[in-house]
Amino acid sequence: MSQIALKGVTKSFGGVSVIHGVDLDIETGELVVFVGPSGCGKSTLLRLISGLDQPSAGAIEIDGRDVTRVSAADRGLAMVFQSYALYPHMTVRQNLSFGLENTRMAKAEVTGRVAEAARMLNIEPLLDRRPTQLSGGQRQRVAIGRAIVRNPTAFLLDEPLSNLDAELRVSMRAELAALHARLGTTMIYVTHDQIEAMTLASRIVVLRAGRVEQVARPLDLFNRPANLFVAGFIGAPSMNLFPTRAEGGTAALPGGRRVPMAGVPEGSEVTIGLRPQHLRLAQGNEPGFDLRIALIEALGTETVVHGELAGTSGDTPRRVFAILPGQPGVALGDILRLGFDEAYLHRFGPDGQRLVGPGRP
Amino acid sequence: MTSLGHWAGVLVTAPLVLLARAVDPLLRAWQRWTGIGGMAAFFLLPNLLIFGVFVLIPIVLNLAYSMTGGTEILLAQRPYVGGEQYARLLECQDYSRPLTCREDQFWTAARNTGLFVLFQVSLMVAVSLVTALILNREIKGRGFFRAVFFFPVLLSPVVVGLIWRWILQREGLLNLLVVNLGLEPQVWLNDRVTAFAAAVGVSTWAHMGFYTLILLAGLQAIPRDLYEAAEMDGTPPARVFRRITLPLLGPNLAVVLVLALIRGVQIFDEAYVLTGGGPGTSTLFLTQYIYEVGFASLLRNPGLAAAASMLMAGVLVVLTLVQLRLSRSSAGGQR
Amino acid sequence: MSAVTSFLTRRRGQGRRWHWTDVVTWAWLAAGVVLMFGPALWLVASSFKGPAQLAEFPPTLLPYVQQTAQVEGHDEPLPLYTVTREDGTEVVLAEIRRIGTNSQMVDPANPEERINVNIADREPVREVGFATENYVAPLVANNFLRFLWNSVFVTAVATAITLLTNSMAAFALSKYDFRGRNAVMLLIVATLMVPLSVILVPLYAVVNATGLLDSLWGVILPTVATPTGVFLLRQYMLTIPDELLEAARMDHASEWQIYWRIVLPLTAPALAVLAIFSVVWRWNDFLWPLIVLSRRELYTLQVGLNTYAGELNVQWHYILAMTVVTMIPVVLIFVFLQRFITAGIAGAGIK
Repeated sequence: MSQIALKGVTKSFGGVSVIHGVDLDIETGELVVFVGPSGCGKSTLLRLISGLDQPSAGAIEIDGRDVTRVSAADRGLAMVFQSYALYPHMTVRQNLSFGLENTRMAKAEVTGRVAEAARMLNIEPLLDRRPTQLSGGQRQRVAIGRAIVRNPTAFLLDEPLSNLDAELRVSMRAELAALHARLGTTMIYVTHDQIEAMTLASRIVVLRAGRVEQVARPLDLFNRPANLFVAGFIGAPSMNLFPTRAEGGTAALPGGRRVPMAGVPEGSEVTIGLRPQHLRLAQGNEPGFDLRIALIEALGTETVVHGELAGTSGDTPRRVFAILPGQPGVALGDILRLGFDEAYLHRFGPDGQRLVGPGRP
Repeated sequence: MTSLGHWAGVLVTAPLVLLARAVDPLLRAWQRWTGIGGMAAFFLLPNLLIFGVFVLIPIVLNLAYSMTGGTEILLAQRPYVGGEQYARLLECQDYSRPLTCREDQFWTAARNTGLFVLFQVSLMVAVSLVTALILNREIKGRGFFRAVFFFPVLLSPVVVGLIWRWILQREGLLNLLVVNLGLEPQVWLNDRVTAFAAAVGVSTWAHMGFYTLILLAGLQAIPRDLYEAAEMDGTPPARVFRRITLPLLGPNLAVVLVLALIRGVQIFDEAYVLTGGGPGTSTLFLTQYIYEVGFASLLRNPGLAAAASMLMAGVLVVLTLVQLRLSRSSAGGQR
Repeated sequence: MSAVTSFLTRRRGQGRRWHWTDVVTWAWLAAGVVLMFGPALWLVASSFKGPAQLAEFPPTLLPYVQQTAQVEGHDEPLPLYTVTREDGTEVVLAEIRRIGTNSQMVDPANPEERINVNIADREPVREVGFATENYVAPLVANNFLRFLWNSVFVTAVATAITLLTNSMAAFALSKYDFRGRNAVMLLIVATLMVPLSVILVPLYAVVNATGLLDSLWGVILPTVATPTGVFLLRQYMLTIPDELLEAARMDHASEWQIYWRIVLPLTAPALAVLAIFSVVWRWNDFLWPLIVLSRRELYTLQVGLNTYAGELNVQWHYILAMTVVTMIPVVLIFVFLQRFITAGIAGAGIK
């Protein structure tokens, strides 16, 4: 039985629908990441689970109990806010104990829990400071601590790392992963950063415009994106997408190479996707397509090439990304011939959905 | 000393904290029963109740009172007279000469108030603007001088009135100066003209600090780089003042002007203590008229007072609408 | 002309030479200091003068007290005068009584002999001193101690109620989304335009009907629902992030606790400003207490002062002293808290 279940959850604000019938099951101990572009409804969905907002329709269950009309305080969840929302007029200790005191917990137990959380998060020396006297990373820990002391059924984290600088973000990410491994508590994590999603998640929920596009484990998401949106959203630089037409069981790619295309009606509009990492310099007479180099980003271990398809015009994608290993001797304006393995192709039907067929597992 | 203050603070707040803690379970129950919307009502209720009883109901009742007669206070015991009170106030042969009006005191008070507003507001705006411009310069001890001009604002009108009554009396400080200059001492508050001038001057003295602060805030909100840019462009100072300072200060000037007008129309306290409306009726203003007709005179007439206050309210509403229009158009013109 | 306008537009730069506009500036400021503080200082100085000295013209700058001497054979100390004798010499004598233009005097060294002196020939012996009985007498004998207590009561209670009810209303209006919220807000803002002087008669009727006439509560209650306070606090509370409230809700806090333990402490700066304003407003209120209160023992200081100053035989020495007493709290606020007030005015334009 799943621990948190959303059943046809819908939310509209003043007649504008922002969540359209989301169904989702989250198992105990999972770290589920909601990811999507801004405005996709991922934070709204989290707030619906938290109980801070009420769904317009549908039901939310926690441990098999319908909590749709239960107040936020009584759902047994804890939340870490994007701004941390630490009470500025209370010390760290008071911030941690405030929620426990509200449940009329015995003083000794409050003290014990605060001390334990402080030790776990290495914030013991900070307990008597105010939030304004803390650095961003320290505030982040306190915010997490405030959630931990509650001993919640699940943690809800709303873009918790977005206010940190890049370096701190990487280390906090690792700490969060370690914390999850240690506590084993269910976590729901909202982010717009796909690296966070890929590195932290047990499963990723990709959202767009209030709808779930795909729910999958991180690598499955990368290897088998369910539709054009997920294909374009996951992975950086994003997947090269070539619109083309199915003719006689094959479809043509720029440069003329035809690849098998089964399971779609003859003549339908299809899209073929190819990740930049899966392009390579063509060997000998290998078929491929010609790319005029418009920009080179040499990163040392790899080289990102932004190119334009030679001899194309109209509605075909002019811009193509390729990631070449190492430091190949290429220069601006060069025309490269790029090849690929058909095994790495992603095929999408006229409706934008993935076509079952040959491809990576 | 600080610990003393601390303990005093604890002593004051401790009962409140205990009280707040004691009511929490009750309010939690209420919240459970009514939901968060019910809590909003709970928070709003005390203020709205007081507000409704002592502000809204009187506003509505004022019209009713203005259409009744007699000396009774209870509305139910007052006979309905329709527009008679208004007719009485407005009955006049020649509006420019109050004595030809049936309620000559009302028209005297109206004329006095009009003149008062004219002189006081002009003086107020001029003096506050100059003071604000001076305080906006880079002078040493600006905070101190700003405070100096602000000091009288805090004084009560009664204190203001008495201070100046004391200075302006026959054996007062002003006469000492006058005599030292070789002039004849005067009983300033016994002369129609000087008493009126005193009312204008004293109320300006008492309130100019407030308007100076508003103007100063406006001046300081003007970005310095605008002046620096103008200087780089070689803009002549007169043009800088006309094209940068004045337009950018416009909203604040408008606020000051209209606020001073609105307050000027209501002039009462300090003038009443200073002159009592005299000599004769030379410093009788509208609010004092309303007060005396409604409460103080032997033949009190609440209906007439209410009608007079309705007419005054009309003027104030017009002024307020002008203020809203001004602040809106100036805000729109800025961007 | 350009000098004038540069004075009007530019701030004085560093290291520029002493320009005549600087002279104007400092003259204006000096005049300001004299004009703004002078009258109050004059009041304080005058309040320590005895009735005789107050009636003198020209007035002296400092308060003087006539010297007295204990003379044998008289129970009370007698006032001392310098008497100019016919031969031009001066001698200090004590006055026993005055009869018409003659003064019956005695030499303190020789109490047996009585001397008659024309009052034109004597000058009181005085030195700087303070007629503190100006303060003591009205506080003890006339009701001023009572007035003082009434003023303190009205100010303290009205400010406490103002802070509580206004902050609760501001909390509801800034942190909850309910039907009619904008209507309530509009109503409150609209009444900002309705001054007391416009609703005197019906307000009197309402206070009469609620049985509050001639009671201090009748003075307090109509003043506490200030739209200004609600407006000021609401503007401030809008800057408190909603996430804090949500965090508290997740933390099991009730709405009352959120108000009391989260929002109120965070609104402290605005509450302080409102408290200071409220104290000044209520302390200085005059017209409304004048109307509501008719029993003398309920008068506030302002009403009491005006009543005493309005009597036929004005006792200036008492009035001036009590005016100083009335001024003291406001002066203390000015000295210690002026910054908050000016910030409040510059920020929110309230008065």
